[in-house]
Amino acid sequence: MGAKAGSSPPVVPPPASSATSFFPSINGLKLKTKQQELLIRVSILALVYVLAFAIRLFSVLRYESMIHEFDPYFNYRTTLFLTEKGFYEFWNWFDFESWYPLGRIIGGTLYPGLMVTAALIYWTLRFLRFAVHIREVCVLTAPFFASNTTIVAYFFGKEIWDSGAGLVAAALIAICPGYISRSVAGSYDNEGVAIFALLLTFYLFVKAVNTGSLAWALASAFGYFYMVSAWGGYVFIINLVPLYVLVLLVTGRYSMRLYIAYNCMYVLGMLLAMQIRFVGFQHVQSGEHMAAMGVFFLLQVFYFLDWVKFTLNDPKLFYSFLRIALTCAISVGSLALGVGMATGYISPWTGRFYSLLDPTYAKDHIPIIASVSEHQPTAWSSFMFDFHILLFLFPAGLYFCFKRLSDATIFIVMYGLTSMYFAGVMVRLILVAAPAVCLISSIAVSATLKNLTMLIRAKNNATPMGSSKGTASLKASAKASSFDQPLPYQRNVAIALLLGAFYLLSRYAIHCTWVTSEAYSSPSIVLAARGAHGGRVIFDDYREAYFWLRKNTPADAKIMSWWDYGYQITAMGNRTVIVDNNTWNNTHIATVGRAMSSYEDEAYDIMKSLDVDYVLVVFGGVTGYSSDDINKFLWMVRIGGGVFSVIKEPEYLVNGEYRVDKGAAPKMLNCLMYKLCYYRFGEVTTEYGKPPGYDRARGVEIGNKDVKLEYLEEAFTTSNWIIRIYKVKPPKNRW
Amino acid sequence: MCPAMRTKSDNPTPGAAAAATAATASSDLDSFDPVLLLLRFLPYSFLRPPRTRLRLPSSVVLPSPMTVFSLLLLTYFAVVSGLVYDVIVEPPGIGSTQDPATGTVRPIVFLPGRVNGQYIIEGLSSGFMFLLGGFGLIFMDLAVDRHRARSTRLSFAMFGISAVVIAYLMTMLFIRIKIPGYLW
Repeated sequence: MGAKAGSSPPVVPPPASSATSFFPSINGLKLKTKQQELLIRVSILALVYVLAFAIRLFSVLRYESMIHEFDPYFNYRTTLFLTEKGFYEFWNWFDFESWYPLGRIIGGTLYPGLMVTAALIYWTLRFLRFAVHIREVCVLTAPFFASNTTIVAYFFGKEIWDSGAGLVAAALIAICPGYISRSVAGSYDNEGVAIFALLLTFYLFVKAVNTGSLAWALASAFGYFYMVSAWGGYVFIINLVPLYVLVLLVTGRYSMRLYIAYNCMYVLGMLLAMQIRFVGFQHVQSGEHMAAMGVFFLLQVFYFLDWVKFTLNDPKLFYSFLRIALTCAISVGSLALGVGMATGYISPWTGRFYSLLDPTYAKDHIPIIASVSEHQPTAWSSFMFDFHILLFLFPAGLYFCFKRLSDATIFIVMYGLTSMYFAGVMVRLILVAAPAVCLISSIAVSATLKNLTMLIRAKNNATPMGSSKGTASLKASAKASSFDQPLPYQRNVAIALLLGAFYLLSRYAIHCTWVTSEAYSSPSIVLAARGAHGGRVIFDDYREAYFWLRKNTPADAKIMSWWDYGYQITAMGNRTVIVDNNTWNNTHIATVGRAMSSYEDEAYDIMKSLDVDYVLVVFGGVTGYSSDDINKFLWMVRIGGGVFSVIKEPEYLVNGEYRVDKGAAPKMLNCLMYKLCYYRFGEVTTEYGKPPGYDRARGVEIGNKDVKLEYLEEAFTTSNWIIRIYKVKPPKNRW
Repeated sequence: MCPAMRTKSDNPTPGAAAAATAATASSDLDSFDPVLLLLRFLPYSFLRPPRTRLRLPSSVVLPSPMTVFSLLLLTYFAVVSGLVYDVIVEPPGIGSTQDPATGTVRPIVFLPGRVNGQYIIEGLSSGFMFLLGGFGLIFMDLAVDRHRARSTRLSFAMFGISAVVIAYLMTMLFIRIKIPGYLW
């Protein structure tokens, strides 16, 4: 801010300095304004880079360097495989250790971008003789890419507005909680890399549209390829960019630059995207990608007509040609679309993306999607948590964008609004909206600060009416004097407002740090709570149980659990699981759900048919942990009941209410999940002053305390009873 | 429509048409471009342009940027107040609890306990506060414009500053009520 008007000419070093020749001349340090500005910019960016990395390290400092949550364990396992066996083995990998007995074609059903990136970083570090473990690289990949995102945000802001806005954008996105939530150290998930790829692709495309250069368009195609390899959210890019092209065409802001940029990016990007096996031919076959193809086709027709109009020089002739051409184009296009959809070649929108357009769809039709807590719609407090003052700056930024419309600002407005709508539909997508909100807010901040500093630096007029306070407006008098009428106490108010802006931004920084520390740095696999005297109590039961599995079960043992824990069991316990987080086969999950909600003998038949050796359940009754299997049980019933009509949800409820105490439904009190969770629990006193068998997570005393198991036996219960493992007994011999 | 008809009626046979239009074409345009010549007469020698009532966008006028901007602000207000949440989860407009001592029913404005949950009214009032803050900044920018009357600028500036201050304070108050452990 406010570089000094140091427009001094290059200073001639005084002759005295030659006497002290070994001491560098201080006059050489007097920089010109441009150099001062460059120094400020580079140092700000360097600080922001370090800040973005440092703020994500809370959990590494508090616990240890480990992978968090569920999905990252799968990514870690695949990265480990990649570094050990090489790329070709990885690409052709068929995994028989999950989804027993179906197996999973991992090479063809994952997005390899994240794993390849981490492996490349690992191999580079190894080449430079830093002996790091792949786990450390995986843990710190997301913060590293978050830092890179801030640099891309700076360039993007510079493209949209000016370098001041770019700096503010970089600073805002470095600590924005909406982005931090999915890119803390340890959260080794696709989004950590994908947001970097998303912003890079958008920046390169906007640059291509602005310059019309083939090189930038090619670069944006490669950026798109990186995004496709990293995350399924690339569908957002392939729909937003055509929509943007359409808006530019409608508003008349088109030229050869747009043609070059979109054609190059679409064709090359589509071809590159087909290299990823998981994506395959979806760019020509799936309904979600048809908008891009439609706009591509439309662009050709549009520019062809434009060229014809230019060469014909005869408006009437052209008009009739136009009508013929349009009729042909529309009929061919709709015919192709109709034939494609009728024959089924073009598949309709998949459930995951359709529920974004019609939010009520998932609730009624696809319980698996509706059950994930991240897929719930967003309330205002989630927005506030993740954005804080950016929510005020966003409308102001929109106003500034509309004040100075250009191709780039139109893009960022569209990106901001579409991503905000999707963020409103699904909490998880606040992540996609975060860069747009930061960029638009940075425009507001930059423009407002510019206005304020302009007020401070304005020279007072020498006119007599200039600096008086509270005089009426003088429209009747000469316009020249009323132009430069400053407001009363203009400078002081502007300084006060500047301090106010500083206060607001510092509150933003404090909020972001607090939110990161309290809410977003929990590894989920290690639980922490405040003990009786305020000290921290750590529950490391998950890892205890997986390590027990690894050491105490035969190598070919098969574990049945709810799908949440599948990835962790395969990665840490190194055992085969029946279902895991990939949730690609709903019937298989419904089978497990049916087993969990049936009586023990029916469940035994199902388990024997699946060759299950061990069953794992999560139980929070002793610790008060609320994300356990009893609380998830209704989802098991719903998903199982969705496929097998034997399972009826009302049988487990009492008057529509879900209870586990004495008044619970008899089917609930005798189902497998209940028995496995509450086996021997009736003898345990969990809380002072409460009867034995008091479930702390539900807050009630359980109904059936005397649980007897006929076909299973208890194998292991962790120290805080959070994970309980049971061994399936072999069938009895014929008597 | 008319020029094609005229050309057709003047030159009944295609061959004569080609010769005649080629002569006229070369005299008008003086171009050697074969594609251009082809383009000029090829469609019209055997195609009759369909009589479509093709009203191109000359009659459709694009809305002004400020209209679009106000629509966008309305959408933003709807999204940020949690409208989608309201439609899907269908929470009550305002919560209620019964006072254990007297038995009267007291309203609860903010849904306690969860970050991602709300009642309808609390969502709308928070969305209004966000929009108010945005408006404050917009008005502050309008106040800097030197070409307005002084009293207008003064009132814009005062409204803008007070709007931002009020919006920020209210939002902080709301979030402190909703999440008791906030920032402490």
